[in-house]
Amino acid sequence: MANGNGNNRTSPERRPRIGFYVCHCGVNIAGTVDCAEVARYVGTLPGVVLSRDYKYMCSDPGQELIQKDIAEYKLERVVVASCSPLLHEHTFRTAVEKGGLNPFFFHMVNIREHNSWVHTDRAEATAKARDLARAAIERVARHKPLETKRVPIKPVTLIVGGGIAGIHAALTLANAGKQVILVEREPTIGGHMAKFDKTFPTLDCAACILTPKMSAVGAHPNIRLLTYSEVVKVDGFVGNYKVTIRRKPRYIDEEKCVGCQDCISACVFKQPKFTDEFNEGLGKRKPVYIPFPQATPQVVAIDSNVCLNFRNGPDGSRVVSDKCKKTCVEACGDRNAIDFTQKERFEEIEVGTIIVATGFQAFDAKRLPAYGYGRYPNVFTALEVERMVNASGPTGGHVVLRDGKTEPKTVGIIHCVGSRDKKTNRWCSRVCCMYSMKLAHLIKEHTHAEVYNFYIDIRTPGKGYEEFYNQLLDEGVHFVRGRVGEVTDWAITPEEEGKLVIRVEDTLAGVVRRIPVDMVVLATGLEPRSDAQEVRRLFNMSCGSEGFFLERHPKLAPVSTFNDGVYIAGACQGPKDIPDTVAQAGAAAAEALSLIDKGYVEQEPNTAFVLEDECSGCKSCIPLCPYSAIQFDDARGKAVINEALCKGCGTCVGSCPSGSIVQNLFDDEEIFSEIEGVLAYE
Amino acid sequence: MKEIQRTIKYEADRVPGFGREVMSVPGCEKLKDCIQCGTCSGVCPLSIYMDHSPRQVMALVREDFKREVLSSCTIWLCASCYACTVECPQQIRITDIMYELKQRAIQEGFYPKRFPIPVLAQEFNRMVHDHGRISEGRLVTKLFLKTKPLEAAGMAGLGMRLMKTGRFSLKQENIRDRGDLARIMEAMDAPASGGNGKD
Repeated sequence: MANGNGNNRTSPERRPRIGFYVCHCGVNIAGTVDCAEVARYVGTLPGVVLSRDYKYMCSDPGQELIQKDIAEYKLERVVVASCSPLLHEHTFRTAVEKGGLNPFFFHMVNIREHNSWVHTDRAEATAKARDLARAAIERVARHKPLETKRVPIKPVTLIVGGGIAGIHAALTLANAGKQVILVEREPTIGGHMAKFDKTFPTLDCAACILTPKMSAVGAHPNIRLLTYSEVVKVDGFVGNYKVTIRRKPRYIDEEKCVGCQDCISACVFKQPKFTDEFNEGLGKRKPVYIPFPQATPQVVAIDSNVCLNFRNGPDGSRVVSDKCKKTCVEACGDRNAIDFTQKERFEEIEVGTIIVATGFQAFDAKRLPAYGYGRYPNVFTALEVERMVNASGPTGGHVVLRDGKTEPKTVGIIHCVGSRDKKTNRWCSRVCCMYSMKLAHLIKEHTHAEVYNFYIDIRTPGKGYEEFYNQLLDEGVHFVRGRVGEVTDWAITPEEEGKLVIRVEDTLAGVVRRIPVDMVVLATGLEPRSDAQEVRRLFNMSCGSEGFFLERHPKLAPVSTFNDGVYIAGACQGPKDIPDTVAQAGAAAAEALSLIDKGYVEQEPNTAFVLEDECSGCKSCIPLCPYSAIQFDDARGKAVINEALCKGCGTCVGSCPSGSIVQNLFDDEEIFSEIEGVLAYE
Repeated sequence: MKEIQRTIKYEADRVPGFGREVMSVPGCEKLKDCIQCGTCSGVCPLSIYMDHSPRQVMALVREDFKREVLSSCTIWLCASCYACTVECPQQIRITDIMYELKQRAIQEGFYPKRFPIPVLAQEFNRMVHDHGRISEGRLVTKLFLKTKPLEAAGMAGLGMRLMKTGRFSLKQENIRDRGDLARIMEAMDAPASGGNGKD
């Protein structure tokens, strides 16, 4: 052994007795790193009284081994070289604590993710493992005893998004007796599901199963419903979030409006004239409107962009002009629910946990010009057709062409529009095969048209889904396997005159076909909402490469995020159908419940503190803190760090010009000894 | 009566390694990603005349059916409009793969005899290679003679008359320093690499 490495370094007065363990992790580590050699080498370092290699350190026998050794060898510090601390740091700290030591007299070395999984050369990987272990041995000798603090959790949950995911999570929590605040951007909850006519594969009516849940949310004593509102700011940490909510003015007093809709019939616009977003632009509405008959809350809203009582203000915003006759106010009468003086308000709420269920947006079919959406009137998106087959939709349940009266005799449904395409979205949107078949069934039922499905692969992996596919085959719906090349109105043969022609290779028959149809339906895929990045930053979450919110673990923590106390549910995490969304919403509610019922969170003690004697009061750390955890004590002229808010990022430590901020677990001595350890070549 | 033929493919019909070889050519690698959706055939303006659709060519290459691919008229009908390459959801450079297959068909003598497209390609290349310049009259005449010799003979009179009025010439044009060109071509042909520019 060449121990010339540690002699010129300041060493602690007496080296504590250190125990070292290197884990094989089956072959995950041992396949690339010579674990026995690492154990032998570390055993020669000063202070190390015990050095072992072991197959699975995280197993129960592995943990018991640590506890037994602490007693038998009178260990004072423990180092484990294994996987990422993200996975097992807590496991080993607990084992060390059970053995009778302070849990922070422990350090973990990552030789799997940082070593064996990313290297192929066994000799070099072993040398790197030795270096990393030596650094940890140097560092752990200087660890100080620390204590974790317990912070109570506010038993209130914020749910962002009032689609089926948000609704289900809210009801689950509220029924368990917890307080819920549900924030929805639109004037009503319901989300995309409220727009659907039937749901696959059982064909039960979407409204029939959704609206009872919507009214339950509206009436539940434990749920506070904030519609037409958005989250604009999130401060704090798990258990104690401070959230600012922007309440957009709907110019209606929600307490006073009873949903009689007298104002709508009284509006000076005798006919509805403005684009109705709820009906995908197929219908019209008035400036004062209610999105759909079962909207929750049953409260109208006034669209200031088109209402005659508003004009453009100097800064482009809409201001009250008082130019309208205000027949709506007259009709409302003594209820006095209409209030043109409403302004945008900001409300701050305190919650312990957050469930983000902001959903998806449909792919914009105009991005694929070859399919002619927006160019040929009779090319529709699936959501448009969904509204048309709905009895309360803009056409009263009739599937008609853009002229509003002609029923189509042939319909082509194109699958995978904006899905499974590297030029747009690479992923499979999971629901399009099933909803296309549902629409095929409904269109056939409503119009008796010949319906063609153009698909790349039919994906029906769900309960009763394949059976539904078989039902469609029995009904005589055509299935042509081929991704459509183009939709054109250029007729070549007489039967194509006046029709839209779908040009496609029937890959199973092995021929290129031209199929004339009256109506084309584009099964647009699901994609992240366009503001997903802003929402991600707001809640301090991550996004995957596609832009959907990233779960903490794809299998074992599918609704957790990397921000403790923030959970995700539904299509904001990835495309999914209603059953999966509801299951996930329930899971997110259960995660929030388990945290609330535990009552407290343990805080990592790796917080920073100010050495008062040395602080010069320059205040340079205060604006740098990303968590606003530093205050200035005017009386003493010193900076003070609020431990409850500090996340241990170390920004202030690095910025302090006088070196008077110290971070637990990362003090200078610990960091420098670790650096010297890793750089000390034999 | 329609003649009944064997259509089954045996393992012996494959040329193992052919697909891998094509997919190792720069630009052709993405062929591995083909999901057989048929978009290429759906957008191809000439797919209506092809014996194998572009999608089928992709599948045949990947499965090593060298003879079927190289003797197919599909690769010669490709007009390199690049519609398939633009629309392919897997971003496979289908047109480039067609070029690679054309090269291989010429090198290995697989192409259909008297089929004008490969003959034109070959004559064009030969003329540039030897003279550094294309003489259109000469090229067209060569193409005509090689693909439709009898019809070409019938056109001889017209050709003579055109030549007399100076509207048609069989004169071979050359670039100034053909020695330099020859040295460049020699250097290019020399290395034992697969692609030797015979297109």
